[in-house]
Amino acid sequence: MIPLNYYIACAVALYLIGMYCLASKRNMIKLVIGLEILINAAHLSFIAFSAYRSVGFIDPLGHSIVIMSIGFAGCVTALALTLIIYAYKHYKTLDVRKLRRLRW
Amino acid sequence: MFTPPLDALLVLMIATPAVGWIAYKKGYRKVQGVYASACLVVVAYLLYGLYKEVALNGVILIVGQPPFNPPLGACLEIDMLSVFMAFLYVIIGLFTTAYSIKFMERDSGLTQYYTLMLGLVAGMTGVVFAGDFFTLFVFWELMCLTSYALVAFRKQRWEPIEAGFKYLVMSAAGSATILLSMSFLYGMTGTLNFAALADSLTNAASEGWLYITLALVIVGFGIKAAIVPFHTWLPDAHSAAPSPISAMLSGVMVQTAACALVRILLLVFGSAQPAWQMTLAVFAVFTMFGGNLMALLQNDLKRLLAFSTIANMGYVLFGFATVSHYGLTASFFHIMNHAIMKTLLFLCAGAFIRKTKTRDLRKLRGIGKVMPLTGAFFTVGTIAIAAFPPLNGFWSEMMIIAAGVRAEMIVFSTLTLANMALSVVYYFRLIRIIMLEKPTKVSKRATKAPVSLLIPMLVLAFLCIFIGVYPGPFIGVSSKAAEAMLNIEAYIDAVLRGL
Repeated sequence: MIPLNYYIACAVALYLIGMYCLASKRNMIKLVIGLEILINAAHLSFIAFSAYRSVGFIDPLGHSIVIMSIGFAGCVTALALTLIIYAYKHYKTLDVRKLRRLRW
Repeated sequence: MFTPPLDALLVLMIATPAVGWIAYKKGYRKVQGVYASACLVVVAYLLYGLYKEVALNGVILIVGQPPFNPPLGACLEIDMLSVFMAFLYVIIGLFTTAYSIKFMERDSGLTQYYTLMLGLVAGMTGVVFAGDFFTLFVFWELMCLTSYALVAFRKQRWEPIEAGFKYLVMSAAGSATILLSMSFLYGMTGTLNFAALADSLTNAASEGWLYITLALVIVGFGIKAAIVPFHTWLPDAHSAAPSPISAMLSGVMVQTAACALVRILLLVFGSAQPAWQMTLAVFAVFTMFGGNLMALLQNDLKRLLAFSTIANMGYVLFGFATVSHYGLTASFFHIMNHAIMKTLLFLCAGAFIRKTKTRDLRKLRGIGKVMPLTGAFFTVGTIAIAAFPPLNGFWSEMMIIAAGVRAEMIVFSTLTLANMALSVVYYFRLIRIIMLEKPTKVSKRATKAPVSLLIPMLVLAFLCIFIGVYPGPFIGVSSKAAEAMLNIEAYIDAVLRGL
């Protein structure tokens, strides 16, 4: 069995990748993908912790919160994509830097 | 299931589209707004019932499914603090909804607007009612989702879309951070119940992970509470949203995040108190300076008010950072006063903007002379928020400074006082521009605001003066909320009694 630490290291790495993606990418769709990576880092961490709580038993609390959270992540993504469609109609581009009429 | 007021909010929110459909069939345009206002009146009545129950029992515990009692299952824990904040949401929600009936009449998609509005109130109420992280997260996401959609509500224009997208990206990153910190807490203790976490975190956690989790919690909630390095979404989102929504967001939503943050810090991270107390105080000072200095530079009316919200968040956080009964009382009193004053200011700003179609202060010069009543209410709000003695802002801001002195944080108190003096500069600039200068061409075109917009402003302005003249009972209520927040043993006991 793979030790728990590897999963946690992986989750933290995913979190950092997501943050890097949000900070550096210019494409709006890629920003949404970055958000998904961030949320999935937390999901992985939850699932790993719930599986390793005790031997031979998986805690349902971690799983239930992950299922709920997947639903919310779907809602957020849908809303973000809707906004992206409207932004694209206005600016004819997906580049975030082009639509910086507001200071970011 | 979730206590009568929250049940009513959720059911009435889901029923709004049906009302909207009937209104559409019959050809009435204002039915949804009247319906939403009526809903909030009903909810306020139900909340009063809940208040009486809480006053009798202390903390009420609501368990979802009987076999899954807390700490295993999800639960709601309602104390004086929850009821206090919920009252604020419902009252401010009522004013903004009543204002929206006239203000939003030319917009399309009103059914969605009022559904989202009730959803926002329900989400915020749920956040303060929650007894564990799971429930908190569900309602937190409800609050976030509705507020993203409301900020970008006028989707035909570029500004709400851009501000909404920026807000969504930053705030969703914050939610993900909260989720990660929750997973670490869960990994350390095996539970997400606040009371059980408070009990077991001190023994279970290794020092390093505890501080990493603490940092993630502060960053995650701090993004929503507009603590200064994470505040950049707020001025854009608040100035791009329709005015009633700006009032809702900066009057109560930002404070919800601060409240949830401090409740979690006090309950769950009680063992690390010296660490987060100092962090919170330092962040509070940064927040005040950031908000006030940026507000000095603004030429956009709503953006200026948004930066003043950030500054006021700093005062509230400083009150919380003292972790004394007096400081928390001051903070809650300031949350209440700020909600009233800032809602009043945003509603007045909305009335100006509706007539002139501009938010530029250079074009809005002298508009108070053209719209005398709105101008008068705006002046009352500005004087109140600038902390002048006969009005409500004075009492709470002085209490915050006094709390700092009592907690022996003299340096921070001095900085707070300096900030309040600094803020007077731009509030007086606002009064001079709006009321005293000669009307420009744009502001001469404006006409007097309709009565239905003036009534909510009148009531709010009256409240500003009333609380200022007669602050006793309001301080008493805030003091009860502070007592509930500090009475951690009763909160933990409620879960143990429920077992």
